[in-house]
Amino acid sequence: MTFALWCVSLFYFASPQDTVVLAEVGVHAAALDRFSAGQTLISYDKNTLARYAARSLGDLLQETSPIFVRQYGAGMLASPSFRGTSAGHTALFWNGIPLNSISLGQSDLSILPLQATDRVEVHFGSAAALFGNEAIGGSVHLSTAPPKGRGFQGSLSQTVGSFGLAQTSMTAGYGTAKVRFQSKLYRQNQPNTFRYRDISRAGAPWEQEDHAHFRQQGAIQELWWQPSLRAQVKASVWFNQAEREIQPVLGSNSEDLQEDESFRAVVDYQYQQRQSIWKIKGALIQDRLQFNGQNNQTQQGILGLDWERHSAGNWAFRMGLRGTWMTANLSTYSVTEQRLEAYQSMGWELEDRISVSLNLRQLAYPNELVPFLPGLGLEWKLVQGERRELLFKTAVGLGVKLPTLNDRYWNPGGNPNLRPEKSKNGELGLQLKQKGTFTWSQRLTYYRMKVDDWIIWLPKGAIWSPENIREVHNQGLEYQANSSWTTGNWNWQANLGYTYSRTRDRTEEESQQLPYSPEHQGNAGLQLSLGDLAIDFSGFYVGPRSIAMGSSRVLDGYALCNLGLSFSGAKWKSIQLPLRFQVLNVFNQSYEVLYLRAMPGRSYQLNLTLTL
Amino acid sequence: MNKFSKLILPIFLGVLLFTACDPTGEERPQGVYDAGVLILNEGAFGANDGEVFHLNSTTAILSPNLFEKVNARPFAGLLEDLVLEEDRLYLVANTGKVEVVQPGDFKSIGGVEKDLNQPRSLATARGKLFISDYGPYDANYNTPSSYVAVVQGLDGGVVKKKILVSSKPEDLYAFGSYVFVAGSEGKKVEILDANAELLFKSLEMPGQPVQFLELNGELWVFCYDAQKVYFVSISKSGLSQTKIQSFPVAQATGRIAQGDNDTFYLLTSSGWPDYKDGITVISLATGILTTDWKKGTGFYGIGFDPKKQQIYLANAKGFQGNGEVTVYQKSGAEVSKLEVGRGPSGFLFR
Repeated sequence: MTFALWCVSLFYFASPQDTVVLAEVGVHAAALDRFSAGQTLISYDKNTLARYAARSLGDLLQETSPIFVRQYGAGMLASPSFRGTSAGHTALFWNGIPLNSISLGQSDLSILPLQATDRVEVHFGSAAALFGNEAIGGSVHLSTAPPKGRGFQGSLSQTVGSFGLAQTSMTAGYGTAKVRFQSKLYRQNQPNTFRYRDISRAGAPWEQEDHAHFRQQGAIQELWWQPSLRAQVKASVWFNQAEREIQPVLGSNSEDLQEDESFRAVVDYQYQQRQSIWKIKGALIQDRLQFNGQNNQTQQGILGLDWERHSAGNWAFRMGLRGTWMTANLSTYSVTEQRLEAYQSMGWELEDRISVSLNLRQLAYPNELVPFLPGLGLEWKLVQGERRELLFKTAVGLGVKLPTLNDRYWNPGGNPNLRPEKSKNGELGLQLKQKGTFTWSQRLTYYRMKVDDWIIWLPKGAIWSPENIREVHNQGLEYQANSSWTTGNWNWQANLGYTYSRTRDRTEEESQQLPYSPEHQGNAGLQLSLGDLAIDFSGFYVGPRSIAMGSSRVLDGYALCNLGLSFSGAKWKSIQLPLRFQVLNVFNQSYEVLYLRAMPGRSYQLNLTLTL
Repeated sequence: MNKFSKLILPIFLGVLLFTACDPTGEERPQGVYDAGVLILNEGAFGANDGEVFHLNSTTAILSPNLFEKVNARPFAGLLEDLVLEEDRLYLVANTGKVEVVQPGDFKSIGGVEKDLNQPRSLATARGKLFISDYGPYDANYNTPSSYVAVVQGLDGGVVKKKILVSSKPEDLYAFGSYVFVAGSEGKKVEILDANAELLFKSLEMPGQPVQFLELNGELWVFCYDAQKVYFVSISKSGLSQTKIQSFPVAQATGRIAQGDNDTFYLLTSSGWPDYKDGITVISLATGILTTDWKKGTGFYGIGFDPKKQQIYLANAKGFQGNGEVTVYQKSGAEVSKLEVGRGPSGFLFR
């Protein structure tokens, strides 16, 4: 919200002489806030991200949001499931460029380290009109922010922990009135030598995991430049490399190895006129996945042009074009493809009480014109007072997921005749805020979604091939409450979340809950601070879920708790030395996220950061 | 007959009727699973949720997940084969292990946990276990290091030796001190000396041998290629091929069930992309061939219940969840349908 106000203030109140503050360039970020009226958004603040600095995006989303993250082991593949949809129904972006693999059509959250991002925003529901392909269940938006202030800034962070964890990250930035640089380096070594009970063997003996070693390293270089009063340039380059021993499912003795390497470069140019702003985005994305020595490489080039106008009558208008050039060289096929999309957004506000947004998008890919994608949202402040606010929200929209390159071209088995998956989504919500000594907010959202032509890979003899066969109806409730208050010198913050998700396969007469779709999830947290000392206690619950369609085998629900202790008062000259200690899985709970995938018990992490 | 005999004899006969003798000479009561149909559910790749279901032929009650229910731990593997020998039931998981259970109650009595790669089947000979194994994949997903693993002891233990055989060994058949190996990719039957634990002899086959069959006391091996299926008779004493009967059955899958009166039921599949499955019935005695006795998709296993004279057809239903078994009369009339575990692939009729 702060960011939205900041953007608005930039557009409406910034004087031409204002050359100190550099506006951030980011097509998606503005669209996310400005044209998503009525939809559910979660933004993570800096403190929350700092608590997860040595952990993955998957951990953050699982423990703090209604998303279910399917984790295939410690440091292994982690794929998000929004509102009962699959991993391929989630769009991920970094500084506005898509992160999902074009061959697989999904992302692995375990190799998206939080050191690579300064801001995480999560958007729920189908919003293909706003974000394009794959935003069916929801979307995750990662972005970087320039260093604040002028001169040199830097930090060095070291985390050590159980099972051999060692993680180092470094950030260095320099800023002047017109130019700012930022470099980030990170390295993570996680042998994952945790102990687990091998329930696949007689007597369920204790074993030490010996094939789940995870290593990750990367670098980010960024530049913000304001060449003139009206123009801004932002350039970001991110290189990430991860090597993994794939943790075998219990009962198997596989020794698979996987290496992921990604290079992402994006340049945004923004030119501001009196009431409008032109934006040009260029990006290059290269992904390489090597599995047991077999190489799969993909490349994307993206070029986009965007024009946004804000009138004094509280109207906002945006339109743009984006072209994507794709090349894939996989172990079984090579292909090139181009996609073109045109979009238009309109936003209208009435006296800061009612806001409406309308988004439209048309997407074309080889020989196909994806059905026109509209999205409409409304927010209405039913009660607006100094201390109390009640907001009604509603949104409807369509979503789409194009068949991935593997779906269409994998040899053998690829099916070039697949249709895009389509979704219809609607949601209603109420948000109540109360300000005062005891500040709290509550949000309740009911959603309903239908996904049709869901693509499933099926065996056809020895060869598997995808088909548009599944129709899924989802509906559910999402409740989130946050509060903060002060007692004496103690500052308290608490949060509580609950999600009910009913995800039914309606392909056949008898509808069934989809596998690995828990009906119930919840999370809770309590943070307490006294001066420079802070304690946080958090927990989350994932309910029972079946492992296959109609399967009698249902995994037990599980609840995990984490405890953290932070001290930010240590200083040496001008260097701040924040220290954090945390215990994960405090009660040493034995649990499985997925069937027969061993997970670690209680573990400890100690983090020391030097901040200039 | 004295009083004692009048009293004791019926009891003795009754005990005899309801017990079976094991090799140790101890009497063992009839177990719950000593009768009926055991259904192999292979499970899904990556999930290791293979299991055995039991169908009570009298009450039609289906009991799921026998291994986990009895042993309080999951089977945790892809169930490739179920072998009943030496009064033991061997559950062969192609994910790298063999579990040994008592056939009557499914209680675990041992297993082979380590040093296996992709086990396919098992036979016992000379007090040892012989386990066919594809061996590890190479960089091109070939299996040039296939072997038969030898384990000393019928209740499992450690692998003491690996006898290299041709690529992708499947079914095994033990006779005396010999173990016959169906070397599917090498198109040969290899004969191992169970005492010396060495490869003794190889017999070239016209197609890919996959399944040994006993017919009128003779040993046969079922082979197939893209156009034909072959039934090859092997002399157990001469260790040589004696005769071949071939049939023009295209697209056989290697899955076969032995009916009565020299009748066999074969699964065929056009595979991708058309994907049309069928059952072909062959009479070895008369040479009569009936193609497409049943047609459909998803056919994954077949069995023949000799007591009830019924054909069991397993459908994997795309491995998305529970599979399905359809029971037919020999006339082709459907008797019943059962919802079973994931990836049903075979049957053991007790």
